[in-house]
Amino acid sequence: MSNSVLSVISRFLEEYLSSTPTKLKMCDAYLLYILLTGAMQFLYCLLVGTFPFNSFLSGFISCVGAFILAVCLRIQINPQNKSEFLGISPERAFADFLFAHTVLHLVVINFIG
Amino acid sequence: MVQSNRPGIALLHGDVTLGDMAQPVFTSLLLIALAVSAKALTPAHHLSSTDVARLQATLDQPFEDLQSAFYIIVGLNKLGTRVSDEKSACQFLRSNLDSSSIDSLFYASEASQALSDCEVPVSNETRDLLLATISEDSSVSQIYHAVAALTSLGLPLSSQEVVSALTARITKEDNVLAITMALHTASRLSQQADLRGILEEIEDLAARLDDLGGVYLQFEEGLEATALFVTAAYELSDHVGMEPPLKEDQVVQLVNSLFSKKTWGSLAEAYSVACAAAVLSNNHYHIPVIVRTQGPATVSHRDPALQLQVTNVLSQPLTSASVLLESARSVSSKSVVLKQASFSLKGETFELNFMHSQAASGYYDFSVAVRGDDRFVGNQVELKVKVSTEVGIANVDLSVVDKDQSIAPKTTRVEYPTKGKGTFTVDSHQNFALSFQLVDVNTGVELTPHQTFVRLHNQKTGQEVVFVAEPDSKNVYKFELDAAERKSEFDSVSGTYALYLIIGDATLENPILWNVADVVLKFVDEEGPAIIQSKNIYAPKPEIQHLFREPEKKPPTVVSNTFTALVLAPLLLLLILWLKLGANISNFSFAPSTLLFHLGHAAMLGLMYVYWTQLNMFQTLKYLAVLGSLTYLAGNRMLAQKAVKRIAAEQSSRLAKYRSLR
Repeated sequence: MSNSVLSVISRFLEEYLSSTPTKLKMCDAYLLYILLTGAMQFLYCLLVGTFPFNSFLSGFISCVGAFILAVCLRIQINPQNKSEFLGISPERAFADFLFAHTVLHLVVINFIG
Repeated sequence: MVQSNRPGIALLHGDVTLGDMAQPVFTSLLLIALAVSAKALTPAHHLSSTDVARLQATLDQPFEDLQSAFYIIVGLNKLGTRVSDEKSACQFLRSNLDSSSIDSLFYASEASQALSDCEVPVSNETRDLLLATISEDSSVSQIYHAVAALTSLGLPLSSQEVVSALTARITKEDNVLAITMALHTASRLSQQADLRGILEEIEDLAARLDDLGGVYLQFEEGLEATALFVTAAYELSDHVGMEPPLKEDQVVQLVNSLFSKKTWGSLAEAYSVACAAAVLSNNHYHIPVIVRTQGPATVSHRDPALQLQVTNVLSQPLTSASVLLESARSVSSKSVVLKQASFSLKGETFELNFMHSQAASGYYDFSVAVRGDDRFVGNQVELKVKVSTEVGIANVDLSVVDKDQSIAPKTTRVEYPTKGKGTFTVDSHQNFALSFQLVDVNTGVELTPHQTFVRLHNQKTGQEVVFVAEPDSKNVYKFELDAAERKSEFDSVSGTYALYLIIGDATLENPILWNVADVVLKFVDEEGPAIIQSKNIYAPKPEIQHLFREPEKKPPTVVSNTFTALVLAPLLLLLILWLKLGANISNFSFAPSTLLFHLGHAAMLGLMYVYWTQLNMFQTLKYLAVLGSLTYLAGNRMLAQKAVKRIAAEQSSRLAKYRSLR
């Protein structure tokens, strides 16, 4: 049982490393970073407590929001999805990404206290 | 329908309008209403003998001028007394008379009429002056003074001229005082003159009275105006021989307004009240009747007669009246105890022996009617009379009952007012019982007074506990004390308690406080004699310190720092991964738009930090708008260039692929 799971995982990683373009791999690394940051914040909240609750929320929401926006960016710049995003060039996707982040940062900074 | 020159007053006629022909019908209806004894208004105020004395004292001042002399002399005359020195008064009038002034002539002549044997000399010029004043061009006040002076001096005048002058003047001078003076003038004229027009003014003026709460009726101009109006109305009505158009309730309300004030601010006011009082005591149509009890309205066996004083508004007794008790109704049982009993006149008061009817103690509503004269107003009076009695206590039994009823109860009979011999001991498994009966000493009827208390008083500690004794169905009062149950009320303090019986009621003449016996109470769990400290509730209470909100407990700095490092660690990982993947800035073109974009973007991120530390949302948005638009424009340019490059690269690669395929 575990043997098959391991083999699936190793196969998946192989496929991933070979067939994914570099641009997307960079995006994936960024996604991993955001994920870890959010996880660390959540761990702190679990262990130590929610004392400045607004700060915790703002930080956590920032991570979650950034993750979502980055996922959207990744979907949109993937050349394999070009058929679904005909009107949106990668540059346009990046511009949207930046604008959405500005709004997110504004809200997060307002709430962080 | 009454023709009135003033349309405003015509609207108020409403319920007050009665044609001249309907007057006798109205009066008969009024009498029928009185006979049926509807709940009519009775005077609440009048001038008692002390008030009359005070009024006389207010008027009895030394003369200052002719006007004050007039008020004093005529006012005192109306009250039935005279000025102390008539000769000097007459001298004063003669010496202060100014023959060229109408007012002066008026005061002097009127005052001289009130004095006995005083004549004011008058010349032809004076007479001509007075007659000349009677015209449309003089004010009503002038006309009145002239007419009054002429009649007092016995000089002839033309009534018709006066009437026409007055009628013309009234249309111009519409105020209350002017019309009142016109009424006064009319009462001096010959009876043959046509005074109907002026007579109608009484009704119009009465409509202008203000009804205050259904109790008072007065002019907004005040007491003097109201009093002068009443005087004028009745004088004119007597002179003409027609009943004034005032309803009985209105007369009573006027009486209330006129005599509620017991001190008078000026001679004019005192004079007007004296005139009104005199006219209400002595006119042909309405005499308000005042019925008062002499002393408190209480009868008892010792004092069985109810005494009433029946007077007019000047507190002069109306001994010609006959006073009848129409019905005496018990307040509690609503049954009529006595009907149609007449009061007998003893001296100046009317008396009735009420105890002959063997009435039980309590309160009674007396309905009394004063008859004997058709003119009586407010002669249906309701009085509340109390019949009081003495109470006696009978069949007082004290017993100590065992709770489980194994031992027979010991009952001791005590006679009032002696104290029970021996002490009664009650402990936790016994009950103490007290039973007694309350009877009316005079009639033997059982009584249920309002206050029947049993009081236990510990002489050593000063404790006092009061219980209520309740009557059972046979009107026997019973009280039971369960020592164990009630120990909290006694604070479990054992000892000797003096037992008192307290009986009281409004209708009892002899309230009772009787020490029946001494009871020893034994409680279990005695806490020792606690000294009763009277709690001083007026001393300052302990001060309350304000507790500020405690700041939340923060975790130690070490923990915070560790987690800060942990949160920032993934950034390091990111940089490493990117470098491994081969991220580089080799494609960085130094075009101005690119630079501008990156600078603008960095500035926006810097603005976020400044926002966190210093600014508020509005300022941030302001800066963000500026930076954002710059960054947007630069970024747009840069990305467009990149897009062009990418499309060119794609096209060339596609072309290369196509070529290689071929």
